[in-house]
Amino acid sequence: MSISRRSFLGWLGAAGAGGSMAAGPARAAGNGQFAGYPESLGVLFDVTRCIGCRKCEEACNKVNELPAPAKPFGDLAVMQTRRRTDAKSYTVVNRYENVPGAKGPLYRKLQCNHCLEPACASACFVRAFTKNPNGAVTYDESVCVGCRYCMIACPFEIPTYEYDRALEPRIMKCTFCQPRLAKGLLPGCVEICPVEALTFGRRRDLIRLAHERFAQFPGRYIDAIYGEKEMGGTAWMTISGVPFRELGLREDLGVTPAPELTKGALSVVPIVAGMWPVLLTGIYAISQRRDKIAREEQAAAVADAVGKSQAEAKAKLADALAKAEKDKKAAIDKEVKKALDAAKAAAAAAAAGTPADAPPSKVS
Amino acid sequence: MMKERSSLRRTGLVMTLAVLMLAVAIMSVQGSAPAAPAADDAGKPRADIIRIDGLRQFGALERPAVVYLHERHTQALSKKNKDCAACHLPDRKYLSTKFKRLTDASRQTVMDIYHDNCTACHRQTADAGEKSGPVVCAGCHQDRAVASSWADFGMDRSLHYRHVKAQDSKCEACHHQVDPVAKKLVYVKGKEDDCRFCHLEKTVDRAISMRLAAHTQCIDCHRKRLAESKDAGPATCGGCHDAAVQRKIAKVKDVPRLMRGQPDVTIVQAVQRDGQPVAPFTRMSVVPFNHVAHEGANDTCRACHHSSMDACGKCHTLQGSKDGKFVNLQTAMHRASAQASCVGCHDGAKARKECAGCHATMARKDPPELSGCVSCHMPKPAAATPETAPKDMAAMLLAARKPVTATFADEDIPETVEIKSISKQYQAARMPHRKIVQTLVKNIQGNTIAGAFHRDPGTVCQGCHHNSPVAKKPPSCASCHGQPFDGRNLTRPGLQAAYHLQCMECHGVMGLDKPTATDCTGCHKDKI
Repeated sequence: MSISRRSFLGWLGAAGAGGSMAAGPARAAGNGQFAGYPESLGVLFDVTRCIGCRKCEEACNKVNELPAPAKPFGDLAVMQTRRRTDAKSYTVVNRYENVPGAKGPLYRKLQCNHCLEPACASACFVRAFTKNPNGAVTYDESVCVGCRYCMIACPFEIPTYEYDRALEPRIMKCTFCQPRLAKGLLPGCVEICPVEALTFGRRRDLIRLAHERFAQFPGRYIDAIYGEKEMGGTAWMTISGVPFRELGLREDLGVTPAPELTKGALSVVPIVAGMWPVLLTGIYAISQRRDKIAREEQAAAVADAVGKSQAEAKAKLADALAKAEKDKKAAIDKEVKKALDAAKAAAAAAAAGTPADAPPSKVS
Repeated sequence: MMKERSSLRRTGLVMTLAVLMLAVAIMSVQGSAPAAPAADDAGKPRADIIRIDGLRQFGALERPAVVYLHERHTQALSKKNKDCAACHLPDRKYLSTKFKRLTDASRQTVMDIYHDNCTACHRQTADAGEKSGPVVCAGCHQDRAVASSWADFGMDRSLHYRHVKAQDSKCEACHHQVDPVAKKLVYVKGKEDDCRFCHLEKTVDRAISMRLAAHTQCIDCHRKRLAESKDAGPATCGGCHDAAVQRKIAKVKDVPRLMRGQPDVTIVQAVQRDGQPVAPFTRMSVVPFNHVAHEGANDTCRACHHSSMDACGKCHTLQGSKDGKFVNLQTAMHRASAQASCVGCHDGAKARKECAGCHATMARKDPPELSGCVSCHMPKPAAATPETAPKDMAAMLLAARKPVTATFADEDIPETVEIKSISKQYQAARMPHRKIVQTLVKNIQGNTIAGAFHRDPGTVCQGCHHNSPVAKKPPSCASCHGQPFDGRNLTRPGLQAAYHLQCMECHGVMGLDKPTATDCTGCHKDKI
């Protein structure tokens, strides 16, 4: 995508450093106390109401401007095969025949369940997925690097990939019609459902609604809401008259949110990532210090050496000066002696003869 | 050299022969094993499958339990003029249900009884050149799945009446009681009970299990009558337990009442804990009970009298008693989950096809609406005095409450209703309103339980026009159902879903397959 490896690694380091500075290691990757945004929205799917008309698939296709399907939405025969969501369809309805305890065929809609603590988001290392306070799990294609970890992480096998798109392929999944919700509209599938098999509302109200239906129609439902607890809870939930496994819903997922399962390992990641700046700074500091000491030692040696040579020079100079002085003195003495000898000779000559040209008195 | 080659050839020949003989031996063993479904009845579901696993009581089984087809053996033996006594020993009055023994002495003895007797007979039969059963272990001890057509069996009013006629109304032929002093079975006229009051699922000190009781007394009588070439019931497994055979059992249409001193009509009598009856109307309106009508509507007395023929109030006193497992009278009559309670049984009746159309879509209200109480609880009749006997009081009250499903006059029921307020993609739907009402009423006309609860002409309308007072002109659907997903009232569907849910669910449970729920133009025509 449009990000360079250098800047990506830079973010990773920054994210790690930020994480390691947060409250504690356990909360860095997974947040065990998060019970969902209190006012978050959701949808309750009632299997006992669904008539299998595929209107929701059609509406989804239309509002999300997805490509036209190979077979028209009015063709109910496609439900004879078990289908999954793909890059061209965010939701599909499957038919289940001869389910024990059911009078006729049953239908189950599948789409992104918008987990309270989404596995896709926890697996994504570029934070392309966001759990919004309104409940929707949305995807930001601008940061996606196309690793498809989200597809592996999702326990409901929902995110799909645009394999047939050569340039900038995207992860495709239900958006909870986030743009429509922002405009105050219902999700496309919910709006069109002719029997309100899909009920839109606050998640906590939907749970209450489900329990009200259980009480009002004894024997119609099994007393459980799929998605109330599964994987830590989902925004889209299902109620049914037959066990969920009969409708292809996994009952082995447990109630622990995905981030909780990986937080132990992932919580180490920020520490490792956060260590790098500290380590490198340390190495830098140590090498700096070493350089400084070396420099200081060198300076001291130089100063020492300079001092020593200066003293030597001084002594030499002093010697030279002393010698020069001596020489000068000797020369003077020699001159003086010569002069004295000359004077002595002149005096002797004068005494003996005539003083020639030098007064004999004023001699220094 | 030549000698060596011939010896090699001889060895090869011997080896080949040995291998061939081994193969033949294996095949013959396997060939004798499939005594499994013979050609004539192969694959057909059977009602005579018995799993012989009696050794389980002594510990884990070493080999798979034997899947034993009882009727195949009785047929084979009857060809040799042998009957049940060929395998079952006489135990006092009847034949024991056990094979060739009366008690299970020990693991070894029981095992030996089976091994010795089964294989002996199979060998004997095979020696006589007849088709026979296996004689090797795996022949019998193998896991094999045989399709079962076995169904639980019980006596209904019709079958009971046929027995009464066959026995010339001699109840003592079957009914008995235990005389605790003489420690023997005696018959007391007017004290006949349901078999299952004493004969429970498992044998207890007081009585043998229902299964054992039926398989000794019933079959014994049938056998004796068959031997005398009289009209008799079946003595084979499938005769009673084959689901297809059960459906073919002749039904007597108008079964006369069984008289055992029960009242025709009575009032549900409240009784204090000390056994003292509460005088009617001292607390609340009484419930007149039409005993005759309820006898006709149920197949057994057990439907209400679940563990004794006494009046409900004897055990289920006002406050509850030990005999009634502390289920007080109110609970005994109103608990919706109990089959033998008034409300439980009446609720169950709502599941009938002709009732479910309206009732399946109705939310259960807990506690129920008080207006429903007066369907059963009636005020004191003007003519009643403190001396009026309960049955006379009940007769007076019931006379004023004839079970008839009422409805409004045709001209007061709109003929068609055009549903057009939300018409967008399709044309308005034209609903044949009057025809629907008339059909619903026709379906339950003559049904006494429906008649008892639909006496008001507006009640039937409530199937669709629910949650509003009973009226000749009820409010329109749109009065309550407006925009979908009203966050303050999620339980109330929007108008479109309200229509669809009401119509589709009713059609579904009433078995109206057309138009299908996904066939939009079946009800709404496309806009031109």
